[in-house]
Amino acid sequence: MSASTGLAVRSLRNIRRLPSAFLPALLMPVFQVVSFSGTYAGITSIPGFPTDRSVNWYLPMAVTMGASFAGLGTGFSMIRDLQTGFYDRIRMAPARRRDILLGPYLAAWTRAVIAVVLVTLVGFALGARPVGNPFAVFTLFIAGIGMATIGTGWGLGLAYRFRDMRAAAIMQLTLFLGLFLTDAQTPIDIMQGWLKSVATWNPLTRILHVARLGFVDGNGVSDLIIGIVVMAVLGSLAWFFALSGLRRLDD
Amino acid sequence: MTTPQRGLEQPIIAEGLERVFGSGERAVRAVDGVDLSVERGEIFGFLGPNGAGKSTTVRMLTTLLRPTGGTARVAGFDVVKESDAVRRSIGVALQDAAIDPLMTGAELLHLQAILYGLPRGEHTQRVGDLLERVGLSAAGDRRVGTYSGGMRRRLDLALALIHEPTVLFLDEPTTGLDPMSRMALWDEIRRLNDDGTTVLLTTQYLEEADQLADRVAIIDHGRIVSRGRPADLKAGVGAPTLFIVVDPAQVESASAVLTAFGELRPTAEGTLGVGLVDGAAGVSAVVRALDDAGVQVQNLELKAPSLDDVFAEATGHRLEGAS
Repeated sequence: MSASTGLAVRSLRNIRRLPSAFLPALLMPVFQVVSFSGTYAGITSIPGFPTDRSVNWYLPMAVTMGASFAGLGTGFSMIRDLQTGFYDRIRMAPARRRDILLGPYLAAWTRAVIAVVLVTLVGFALGARPVGNPFAVFTLFIAGIGMATIGTGWGLGLAYRFRDMRAAAIMQLTLFLGLFLTDAQTPIDIMQGWLKSVATWNPLTRILHVARLGFVDGNGVSDLIIGIVVMAVLGSLAWFFALSGLRRLDD
Repeated sequence: MTTPQRGLEQPIIAEGLERVFGSGERAVRAVDGVDLSVERGEIFGFLGPNGAGKSTTVRMLTTLLRPTGGTARVAGFDVVKESDAVRRSIGVALQDAAIDPLMTGAELLHLQAILYGLPRGEHTQRVGDLLERVGLSAAGDRRVGTYSGGMRRRLDLALALIHEPTVLFLDEPTTGLDPMSRMALWDEIRRLNDDGTTVLLTTQYLEEADQLADRVAIIDHGRIVSRGRPADLKAGVGAPTLFIVVDPAQVESASAVLTAFGELRPTAEGTLGVGLVDGAAGVSAVVRALDDAGVQVQNLELKAPSLDDVFAEATGHRLEGAS
């Protein structure tokens, strides 16, 4: 077993032993898909709305939200390890820094898969159905893993820099803002003013389009390619943000 | 597991080691030009009060913190440029045993074995051996959150030994422990040293340094103020100290009397201390002189030179919390 796998196993084992640390990240997206698709069921009557099922619109948003918070969860755990001093023990090990960093990523991806599966099942139970694209669930998972990757790097990078609960507040706030300033709620075409501009240029919008591929009309292969490029770029930036933060712990 | 070995005649060498936190007017010089040289197979005591710079020095020597000046080599490797090799060579038990309370002792040791790259087939055997060595076999499958302070310290020591390091850093290993647990840990440290492990031990307990260390360095405000064998350092202080408690209103007149018998020494507030050149034989003369001067003695104690006296002579004040 490598250092990264060992750290991932430890992280996942602690989920079982301290479920309260993971449950909110799991239940929040479930709540969103249930409440939004019910409350805003009438949204589908907007002319040109790309699906006739509100749950098809909100399920991808809830999945990306759940997956990104699964990533941020590793940031919260990291704050705990930094504050208790346990992370000093890990840093003193002769394992490569990237392996030490990869451990939380493996744990985050596992958490994200759990969240994505649960939210998807709830979405399907509420009536979500793919339209046309046989790989709809697969692309939904791709977007979920992409968001988890970005969320993990962002969360870890902030945790390493602040080393206390200030990082947790910034992680949540920025991710909420980032996701809600997309077309998470309504299509870009019916937005107006600065909100429309922000949503258009917000790279997370592109990831959301990957998640929606196959659940709404209008998105195609170009959306998939752009979305994957955005995930690769943001994921890489987040990885280096985390890695540089890890190295800054020595300063 | 074989740890790297290079330049092990002096496994720990530091020259002009410095650490400054912050910058400009708010800069704090936590470690200010520390020189250290620890010989192979010795227990080296690093003694000083809270905030003196002991832990910061250890964090630099164990690669957790980058020095802002000077150089240090541990097990023959530069702590900055060859940090991975240093990590493979050393075992570290830090202050406030940082152990995940959700994990069991055995799980933590397994994780440590993985992090140090021990062959997988050896994990179970090594974990079992170490748990037995520190007397935690029965508690190995219990979560660490249920351990007592002494058990945590012993587990911390076992974690530091997972890869059989040649150099061991123990940062205040007995702080907060009851006397029994403290002595049990001392025995274990002696056993490790007998097996050839070089130990650098930081402590604020004078007795601990006196009992365990072959040599000590005393640090205060980031600088080493004295170093040597405890016996030599104490002999250097010379005369034993006579501690006298008098009425606070009579401290000045008592001081005037005591200067005739020897050098006044720093003491805790409310107490006077004088280096009594004649030792026990001179006590009665001191008491008589104080009596003649009308000073009422409330308490009096003659103490052989201790590391606290060494510290007091070097710094002008006594060790906080000295025992």
